[in-house]
Amino acid sequence: MSRNRLRTFLMMLGVMIGICSLTILDSVGENTRRETMKRFKNMIGTFDTVIIRPGAGKTRGMVSLTNVPPALKFDDAQALAQEIPEVRQVALLQNAFDIDVKYKDRSASPAIFGVSANWLDLRGDELASGDFISPDDIQSLARVAVLGSNVAPELFASDDPLGKTIRIGDVPFQVKGVLQSRGAGPGGASLDDLVLIPVTTASKRLFNRDFLTMVIAQLRDPVKSEAAIAKITALLRQRHHIAASALDDFTLTSPQAVMAQVTQMGSILSTILKGIAAIAMFIGGAVIMSLMLISVSERRKEIGLRRSVGARRRDILLQFILEASLVSTFGGVIGVALGLAGTNLVARMQHLPPIFVWQSLEWTTALSTGLGLVFGIYPAWRAAQVDPVKALRT
Amino acid sequence: MIEVTRLSKIYQRDDGTPVAALKDISFTVEKGEFLTIRGPSGSGKSSLLNILGCLDNPTSGTYRLNGEELSAYSDKQLSYIRAWKIGFVFQSFNLMPRTTALENVEIPMIYGPGRVDRKKAFAALERVGLGGRAYHFGTELSGGEQQRVAIARALINDPPLILADEPTGNLDSAAGAKVMGTLSQLHQEGRTVVLVTHDDAVAAYAEREILFKDAVLVCDRKTSVGHPVAAL
Repeated sequence: MSRNRLRTFLMMLGVMIGICSLTILDSVGENTRRETMKRFKNMIGTFDTVIIRPGAGKTRGMVSLTNVPPALKFDDAQALAQEIPEVRQVALLQNAFDIDVKYKDRSASPAIFGVSANWLDLRGDELASGDFISPDDIQSLARVAVLGSNVAPELFASDDPLGKTIRIGDVPFQVKGVLQSRGAGPGGASLDDLVLIPVTTASKRLFNRDFLTMVIAQLRDPVKSEAAIAKITALLRQRHHIAASALDDFTLTSPQAVMAQVTQMGSILSTILKGIAAIAMFIGGAVIMSLMLISVSERRKEIGLRRSVGARRRDILLQFILEASLVSTFGGVIGVALGLAGTNLVARMQHLPPIFVWQSLEWTTALSTGLGLVFGIYPAWRAAQVDPVKALRT
Repeated sequence: MIEVTRLSKIYQRDDGTPVAALKDISFTVEKGEFLTIRGPSGSGKSSLLNILGCLDNPTSGTYRLNGEELSAYSDKQLSYIRAWKIGFVFQSFNLMPRTTALENVEIPMIYGPGRVDRKKAFAALERVGLGGRAYHFGTELSGGEQQRVAIARALINDPPLILADEPTGNLDSAAGAKVMGTLSQLHQEGRTVVLVTHDDAVAAYAEREILFKDAVLVCDRKTSVGHPVAAL
């Protein structure tokens, strides 16, 4: 084997490429899946919720917070919470993007979110300091605000914002708390550039609006989300007096459904890529087989000699199978190493932390060994059939 | 030791016509004999040696080695006999290329009775006077040296029977004499040596010769005394 380096290298090449791409695929695929999950979780919060937005479902997937049609009212949200037993609670959101926030001479233009008191729980957010909006604040239309982690340093630099008064538009609000950072959403944009205020205050004192941007309904049993979605749909259609033939004037999004869609798309892509890698491996196997056949015919003398000093057909068979699978395994190991390097490269290009899926090491090694075995069997069998008398004749 | 009875070997030519390489051959060889098989090329000598060496099966007749009837043996059984009982020496040496002399000598140990033992292989090389060449590749050795490496290889599993197919055919007379000296020594130690040749000088080392012509054994005779080793 080591005596014909070029040939050995060529034998390994196909396996190397196949295994390398499989390794990259595996790790990058897993990496992307995890990152997508994380970003979705960042945006949606918990997974036992259904998101209800006004307007027919034209924007699929991502939640649009601009150009909100005035279809979804406070009453609707209240009805959902009270009349549908599957709904544990609802969180409300009213928002605006075009209002400046000021503290002394500093200003920022974050998103202003009017939210209900249970927003923090349903989103799975956490406070960095202070308190969140309380039910009393909602009741009393309190002028209190909770800052997103980007906004606090923008307005206050290193000062403690708690208890300070900021102006949202022209209305003064007292800072009650600061959120922890959420990181990036699915689009890559920051989710920390926002100010939260009580939804009632937002509606009556700031936006002067009685419709909502979004209602998040938390379900008692996320497994039975289909039934809950059907009931929510029925209730809202009835409340909005929608004729049986007409389309909904609202859209329901289940994070679970979106996640399923995203991960499925990922898996289709990776299935295709795995198919390509499999073809590369197959070609690699065919190369191993043909080069092994050449090697067998070149080494007839060696085979004859080994047979003459006592090698059984089996010994010859095993020797050649072993050589094929050894070369193939070695190619696989190099492929994994290259794949590791490739994974790092791809991760760097995607600005993601590199994840190496260690399980793939086991099965790629097994795969490359198996490939050598399978494609080595026929050449090895041919080697075992070599007639020592003919092979040794000069 | 060797008992051959009415042995025939028929080959098929490529066009299907049968050719007899051996016709109805019978002879015996006693343990410790030094026998040459002689005759013109194509007379069947090599076919006989291949059958004696368990590399080939006879078409008919029987071959007994140490009382064992081998004609019906399986590949596994014949391989065992080749590994344990027989040492082969070829005209073209058949050393593995790009492999050291030492590694060449070790090959039969892979398939033979013991384990691969580097010291033993080294000792075998020293026996044939090539201890200093152990780490040379076959291509770096002269023809005579290569053949002596091959003899060391044939001896490594300590077989009682040595089969040599024109071992001096590719060598000049000086190198050939040295190789023959080594083979005679093996005979002196009590091994049975069967040697195919058409060289009279080589045949002179043996005690007995059988002559082939056209696939038939035509003569089986004692030769004048074995060649004295001292004369080398």
